[in-house]
Amino acid sequence: MGIIKAENVTFEYIRRDEEGNVEGITTAVDNVSLDIEQGQFIAILGHNGSGKSTFAKHLNAILHPTEGTVWVNGMNTRHEEDVWDIRQTAGMVFQNPDNQIIGQIVEEDVGFGPENMGVPTKEIWERVEESLKAVGMYEFRKHSPNKLSGGQKQRVSIAGVLAMHPKCIVLDEPTAMLDPNGRKEVIRAIRALNDVEGMTVILITHYMEEIIYADKVFIMDKGKVAMEGTPREVFSQVEKLKKLRLDVPQVTLLAYELQKKGLPLPDGILTTEELVQELLDLKNGNLERR
Amino acid sequence: MSLILDHVSYIYGDDTTLAVKALDDVCLNIPDGQFVGVIGHTGSGKSTLMQHLNGLLKATSGSIYFNGEDIYDKDFDMKKLRSKVGLVFQYPEHQLFEIDVFSDVCFGPKNLGLDRKEVELRAYDALKKVGLPDELFYQSPFDLSGGQKRRVAIAGVLAMKPDVLILDEPTAGLDPKGREEILEQIKKLQTETGMTIILVSHSMEDVAKYVDRIVVMNRGKVMYDDIPKEVFRHYKELEEVGLAAPQVTYIMHALKQKGLAVDVDATTIEEATEQICLEILH
Repeated sequence: MGIIKAENVTFEYIRRDEEGNVEGITTAVDNVSLDIEQGQFIAILGHNGSGKSTFAKHLNAILHPTEGTVWVNGMNTRHEEDVWDIRQTAGMVFQNPDNQIIGQIVEEDVGFGPENMGVPTKEIWERVEESLKAVGMYEFRKHSPNKLSGGQKQRVSIAGVLAMHPKCIVLDEPTAMLDPNGRKEVIRAIRALNDVEGMTVILITHYMEEIIYADKVFIMDKGKVAMEGTPREVFSQVEKLKKLRLDVPQVTLLAYELQKKGLPLPDGILTTEELVQELLDLKNGNLERR
Repeated sequence: MSLILDHVSYIYGDDTTLAVKALDDVCLNIPDGQFVGVIGHTGSGKSTLMQHLNGLLKATSGSIYFNGEDIYDKDFDMKKLRSKVGLVFQYPEHQLFEIDVFSDVCFGPKNLGLDRKEVELRAYDALKKVGLPDELFYQSPFDLSGGQKRRVAIAGVLAMKPDVLILDEPTAGLDPKGREEILEQIKKLQTETGMTIILVSHSMEDVAKYVDRIVVMNRGKVMYDDIPKEVFRHYKELEEVGLAAPQVTYIMHALKQKGLAVDVDATTIEEATEQICLEILH
């Protein structure tokens, strides 16, 4: 069993009208099973309303499955007595940085989590320092969070989760409200956490470019896992993704359009370098490589 | 219905020690029917600029002319300006409040003091323009999807019959298809009704695909103001101020560097496809 395992997870909620009468049942997550290994970089994609955020909330026991089971580091999220351990194992970062920051000073905010866990003061400061360094925000430790940019605030939010020493971090559209630079900073920080610190990362996003380095991609639709595979496998299926209201990275889309015009390019090109090399090979008639 | 900004500056907290110059000598001329994109990193002055265009903020110095009339003139009807220059804020769906979609869209025109028939006609027309299906008209706005809610919020502004529509990141938080649908709808509004559109966006790809002209804001100043091709030629300078060119531009530059004869001015997938095919197939 990996760090996170979901088995046949279904989540239903009852819709009620204004008088409280039952109107119907919505199945937000429908029989989802997945197994995530320690140290993996996992991406979850899906259109608005596909059930990805609802599913993510199961990973640290904010929601409990109607049917099926979720294990975090071997602990069943249904077990009330394990909830604190589960939340320390799988930390969560949300979309809006302004809703997640409470401290007056950056370092106090980051220290809030470990302080609540009863970590000794000296160790709190050590954790604050290493967490801020991990997201490249150490030099801002004495600043007021109000004066930071969106990307900086979001990195402080991530540091706040890191300070609780989780094994796994779940990010629910952390870049949706950021400008291109802020987006780049946050994604760079997340990738470094995964690469350098070996942190398990689960990233939910609407930006296809952000996940080309993921180990595995899950695509949700109507509460189910509609597609899964490596970024290359998934992004090779341009038409299918478009039907699911998604997209592919711009480079992949350009390669796909060129294929349609008759250029013999491989499926699922993900980076500019790959595309440029393939096109040069074509131009030079150097095709034996394929 | 042209908008002219003449040496507009705005200082937050003027006369205090915390004074910040948010707009610095901005001059712009936005003619009728243009689709203008405004880009700039967080804090570059985009939103401050937008709030000047319908009189929510008053310039510290400089003048703004709407249709040739000085909006700071004491006889100028500010209320009329606000109905003519519609502003759709970020995450506008947070402002929905009525019991059903149709009533929500009626709220604006009702407050203009129009009679009921006209109000309902306008609401219907606006909801049609944003492409919302009829069966959703009497649903609670809170039961709709993110993209649908946003359309309702935009319809609420359209029902005021503005001549200029300003949208502050209308696609933030939407899935890729939802983003495309909203932008296509806005483009259609511009071509079919001749409405002037000002779009604030963080997506260079979207800006490259839809707008006629880009205004780049940096530190409260207009850094570039030109057609997309010209603006994205300065991709290195754009990066220095926290922006970028569309990804396609980088691909074209990389190809050119490796000796392929392609036009580096291509900014959209269509243009790039055409260029690359020309070079490789012929």
